[in-house]
Amino acid sequence: MKKINYSKAHARYLKKLKKEKALVAFWQIFVFIAFLGIWELFSSVGVLDPFFFSSPSRIATTLATLASSGNLWIHIWTSLYETVLGFIIAIVLGTIIAILLWWSERLRKIFEPYLIILNSLPKIALGPLIVLWVGSGTGATIVMCVLICIIITTMSMLGAFISCEQDKIMLMKSMHANKFQILFKLILPHSLPEFISVLKINVGLSWVGTVMGEYLSSKAGLGYLINYGSQMLQLDIVMTSIVLLCVLAGGMYLCVCPLEKRYPK
Amino acid sequence: MEKFLEFKDVSYFYQTKESEIHALDRLSFDIGSCEFASLVGPSGCGKTTILSLVAGLLSASEGEILLDGKKIEKNDSRIGYMFQRDQLFEWRTIWQNITLGLEIQKKKKDEKMLALCEELLKKYDLYNFKNKKPRQLSGGMRQRVALIRTLALQPQLLLLDEPFSALDFQTRLKVCDDVFEIIKNEKKTALLVTHDISEALSMSDKVIILSSRPASVKEVMKLNFEGSTPLKKREDKDFGKNFDKIWRNLT
Repeated sequence: MKKINYSKAHARYLKKLKKEKALVAFWQIFVFIAFLGIWELFSSVGVLDPFFFSSPSRIATTLATLASSGNLWIHIWTSLYETVLGFIIAIVLGTIIAILLWWSERLRKIFEPYLIILNSLPKIALGPLIVLWVGSGTGATIVMCVLICIIITTMSMLGAFISCEQDKIMLMKSMHANKFQILFKLILPHSLPEFISVLKINVGLSWVGTVMGEYLSSKAGLGYLINYGSQMLQLDIVMTSIVLLCVLAGGMYLCVCPLEKRYPK
Repeated sequence: MEKFLEFKDVSYFYQTKESEIHALDRLSFDIGSCEFASLVGPSGCGKTTILSLVAGLLSASEGEILLDGKKIEKNDSRIGYMFQRDQLFEWRTIWQNITLGLEIQKKKKDEKMLALCEELLKKYDLYNFKNKKPRQLSGGMRQRVALIRTLALQPQLLLLDEPFSALDFQTRLKVCDDVFEIIKNEKKTALLVTHDISEALSMSDKVIILSSRPASVKEVMKLNFEGSTPLKKREDKDFGKNFDKIWRNLT
């Protein structure tokens, strides 16, 4: 690389960018600490009733108790396992279905109304049926998770496949590509950015599926813990579980993000 | 001159639910070997349909199309197609883009074909960009890459579908010269579709003027401008006169 001498304005510009970044980071941390501080303060002076609103210190204590009893890890592991498995199954199956629907226009026409209905249907309505069919527990939760994620995966991926420029397909055809080659050399790589955004959407949706599934019927997991806590009126447990969900969902999202950097639009 | 591409009374109808669109009406023309011909006509007259027919992407409703005396088949490897935009695949490097056709036709191990690709890249100043991604290249360079991608399969006839329309005017003149030079160097026959009259005039040996839909041949103009490049041909004293003639024919 050739070394280029930039003007002073460039240095000023860079400095400004850096300053902006630092400022945003500062305020992010500030909001977090202020939120915790006000929450703690209000609950200790009695503005908020800690019985209903818990408090950061009570959450920390609950966390410690759960951790020392060893139950915490079981709940975290159960939810994480259900979510990740449901997420992967939904992505793989959803993409395969999208490929099939792309492949055959007739198939696409036949299934279009069903897809629309399934997409609009609140999947939670199927909950009792799922429990009856697969039994309560981990299996039912994973099925719920898959149901919530799969339709949107199929619809988004199909949309991406179809959005590929017609001239690019013509180009492939003019080079005598067969349909497999068009799929693997053009359609799939073309749809990679959309695939990554589907992954990101599904991180959120798969946690919805897991918590819903665990509400319905389960013996472990963070959704179970929330349900249990609210029934026993132990809102510390509820709040603690919500905090854990935030951390886990955020972590999963961060795992997907590097992909986006690696394959930019 | 020997007829290389020949249209014999070709008609084409597009089918829609409501009606039928008569796109081409008993179209007949021919192009000689190594000749550069342009198709001009009012917009929507079916120019792209003609290219699709030659490329075998559509088949004629009536009449026949001969290439080198033989009927055109589907997937005819004697034909290369260049599109309006460069249609380079952003996720592939320049080299991978150029060898896309070889990859599709499972010729990626053919040393001779690969050597030809390398040679074309070197000859047309793109070798240093071999491992770059398309977005790192300028519009003109991208268009050259698109042309080399087409040439890599060694077609005898090149179909150019308004290949410069996405470029700004200055780049366009330059790329016009480049593409012209490459096509003449490689001794290819070319059929260009354009709505830009001066582009057609400056590049071609022959301009085929089409009527509005259903398209038929209105007039064929043989050109003989002085100058070795399209840009120089634009300076010929008869250039303006011919321009007017085509313009009147189109309106």
